[in-house]
Amino acid sequence: MLIEIENNIEEIDRACDLTRAFCLQHKISDEKCHDITLIVDEIMTNIIKYAYSDKQSHTFSLLMEKNDIHIAICFLDDGTEFDPLAAKTPDISSTCIEDRPIGGLGIFIVRQLAEDVKYSRVGNLNRLDIVVNV
Amino acid sequence: MEVKTSTQDGVTLVVPVGRVDSSTAKAFEDEVMKAANGNTKMAIQFDKVDYISSAGLRVILMAGKKLTAAKGELVLINMPDKIFSVFKVSGFDKIIKICPNFEEYKQSFN
Repeated sequence: MLIEIENNIEEIDRACDLTRAFCLQHKISDEKCHDITLIVDEIMTNIIKYAYSDKQSHTFSLLMEKNDIHIAICFLDDGTEFDPLAAKTPDISSTCIEDRPIGGLGIFIVRQLAEDVKYSRVGNLNRLDIVVNV
Repeated sequence: MEVKTSTQDGVTLVVPVGRVDSSTAKAFEDEVMKAANGNTKMAIQFDKVDYISSAGLRVILMAGKKLTAAKGELVLINMPDKIFSVFKVSGFDKIIKICPNFEEYKQSFN
């Protein structure tokens, strides 16, 4: 499945609906479908919010493929070069709410839910490959 | 997404309905932060939430911090497994009280 997505926050619902339909079509369990949708949401949100510094309309791609053991998710955007895996991991060990910093959770959740996440820079594109076992 | 807010037995009960993601988080934040005023006890009920992303978790954390600082309390109730799993991987289960339901929460302070 290939989805072309505009850098508009309203696109998240549409892409998440298409992701759920893809999972349903491929008989993915509810639990995994939830994880995959969350991953798609978090990465899309980052691209829409941070990849483009101008106010112009841009389009980026989401590809999704299933084989016997996993789902491969690939995001390609032509925004500012950014490796989300280089972001500092939030400290989640705190047991005291006052000490817990706000933010940085999106990519952290993706890394927790996915089997593998890889970033590469391909020409002028950011490429993020995510593998989820199903 | 919509948010229903009421007061029951001295507890502010917040019931979000639908998806809490980055496209709805602002509306969720407005409602939750408005309800998280003063030293109130606040319960957020999750059984009508289909889905929550980090944008929604951020709002929960902000409300929890605000209530804790004001000697109030935040509790999360009626949480389906798939929602709980997101809280767990984020370490939120260690910093925010989670109760099976409103009745059990009430018993904890009665």
